[in-house]
Amino acid sequence: MSWDAFFMTMPYLAVVILLSIGLYTVLFKKNLIKIIMGIAIMQNGANLFLVSLAYRDGYYAPIFTSAESTDMVMPTAHALTLTSIVIGLATTALMLSFTIMIKRHYGSINTEDVRRCKE
Amino acid sequence: MTWDTIVTASPTFILGLPLLFAFLTTLVGRFSKRLGKLLFGVGLLLTTFFVGVMSYQVLTDGSWFYVFGAEQPSPENLLSFFRITFVADGFAVLATLTIAITALAAGIYSYSFMKGESGLNKFYTLFLLTLAGVNGMVLTGDLFNLFVWFEVTSVASCALVAFRNYKGKSVEAGLKYMVLSTVGGLFVLFSIGLLYGQYGVLNYALLREGITGTFIDKLALGILVVMFAMKSSSVPMQMWAPDAYGEAPGSVTPFIAITSMGSLFVLFRLLFGVFSVSISPAASGSILIILGVLSMIVGVTMALVQSDLKRLIAYLSVSQIGYMMMAVGVGLATLNTGEYESFGELAMQGGLFHMINDGVYKALLFLSAVAVVHATGIRSLNELGGVAHKMPYTTFFFLLGALSIAGIPPLSGFSSKLLIYKSVYLYSPILVIIALVVSIITLAIIGKAFFNAFLGPNQGLVKNHISKTMLLSMGILTAVLVLFTLFPNVVVTEIVSPAIEGLIGSFEGVLP
Repeated sequence: MSWDAFFMTMPYLAVVILLSIGLYTVLFKKNLIKIIMGIAIMQNGANLFLVSLAYRDGYYAPIFTSAESTDMVMPTAHALTLTSIVIGLATTALMLSFTIMIKRHYGSINTEDVRRCKE
Repeated sequence: MTWDTIVTASPTFILGLPLLFAFLTTLVGRFSKRLGKLLFGVGLLLTTFFVGVMSYQVLTDGSWFYVFGAEQPSPENLLSFFRITFVADGFAVLATLTIAITALAAGIYSYSFMKGESGLNKFYTLFLLTLAGVNGMVLTGDLFNLFVWFEVTSVASCALVAFRNYKGKSVEAGLKYMVLSTVGGLFVLFSIGLLYGQYGVLNYALLREGITGTFIDKLALGILVVMFAMKSSSVPMQMWAPDAYGEAPGSVTPFIAITSMGSLFVLFRLLFGVFSVSISPAASGSILIILGVLSMIVGVTMALVQSDLKRLIAYLSVSQIGYMMMAVGVGLATLNTGEYESFGELAMQGGLFHMINDGVYKALLFLSAVAVVHATGIRSLNELGGVAHKMPYTTFFFLLGALSIAGIPPLSGFSSKLLIYKSVYLYSPILVIIALVVSIITLAIIGKAFFNAFLGPNQGLVKNHISKTMLLSMGILTAVLVLFTLFPNVVVTEIVSPAIEGLIGSFEGVLP
């Protein structure tokens, strides 16, 4: 494997690492804030995945004045990433506000204490 | 703009009107609460009207694709790739009809049920946003658009579950649902990335042509199946459902349940419409059957030990989701083989008929149970009793829903279950035995709940009055249920068969 090819796989390696860290945090941490941080890390992993997919060596950003249309990358993946970042903001904000309310009602943000639904 | 243009654009209205009215209610509600309330009703009715328009058009003239942006993509004009397709076919009709019936009933019920809560305008906004999200999920013909609507539904429905934020339990259920939905959404996005990275398209129809069935495709399919099965509250990812259904404001409980059924519709659309050509339908069908059987057994077993009325119905609804997955799974497993002709299609008919059926009677069951909780303030079956003396109509509605969910003969639940039994028996008799046992246990459980809560001496538990609008909403559902009971054959031939055609038929006419 040449160095170039190796460097091209680096972003995907980062994606795998980010997703695994995020999933681990969501599954095994007890603190609600940490769980939400884990989700945010996974969001970044998914976004990085989309951006790395869109990268083409030697191609231009899809701005119509700066290059021949054949040398431009398809901007779909970037559009997806932007949308996903915005959605991520909304979900994170909503989850954090839920956490604030849980702290107010239960006096704790440990998942061990937050299980009154089953009673 | 002529009427024909409006009819062609009806998918836009089904999505756009709830979105528009969602924000209009908040805006107008700042100045006049009454007007905001009125606008909510108008938005719901108009959306339902356009669902009717689309259904009529599809069922008489056949399906079409509504495209935002360029009509046809062409390599000469790169901008023409910016297009989003909406599919108006039989399957979309079945899904939007199911959603619309429940949404209308839940909306009417909310009017008097939510009286006395603060921030009602925001409630209406969230309700309409959820409606727009679910409708978008089932109508879209584009993977990324699916992700966006998925997240719209997640955010709005989780906020709806936690709407009574003065109760810790509601917020807890909302957060639980939200964490699972967000993780699910992220993995959906990841698998969309896997597919886009290989084929460079997001359109269902183009993907259907393009997918070759590589390992990465199978991985993407696996992730999608798991995530949508989780959102449709299938075992082993059902743990959020009883909490969310139990703690959501009573009037929207059936509506939250219908968002999970929306995910099931999407799952079927992806399995049949996108992946069934290149990835062996027999394998994915077997996975659906396994998930379905597990849901049936675990759902009903968990319902057995519940003493809380709402959680009991929530677990029963998990087990009903299992019936649909099993029946449609049999249809998928036999697809493209000779067996499909002999019993696969019948299984599909049973499964899809059961979906619309279940949407109606489950809503009726939830709403009448919520009426009891509203009137008495008690949710525990051990403390309830003798409610029937003061609430004759609600008792009748609950009884109808209960008999239907248990599949007692003349009712519509029986017609769809009979179709499932008849067809699945030819696939594997053991599945039918399990289904029958589950059905009997369901009858026992719902019978126990009915006797405990409604029958017995009058204990004077009924304190609050059930308003006329609540009865009206349950009456609408009962009317639909009676129609399904009287004319199951008409429903199957007129609504369910076109849905199967739309599900299996290729997306012709949308390709460049």
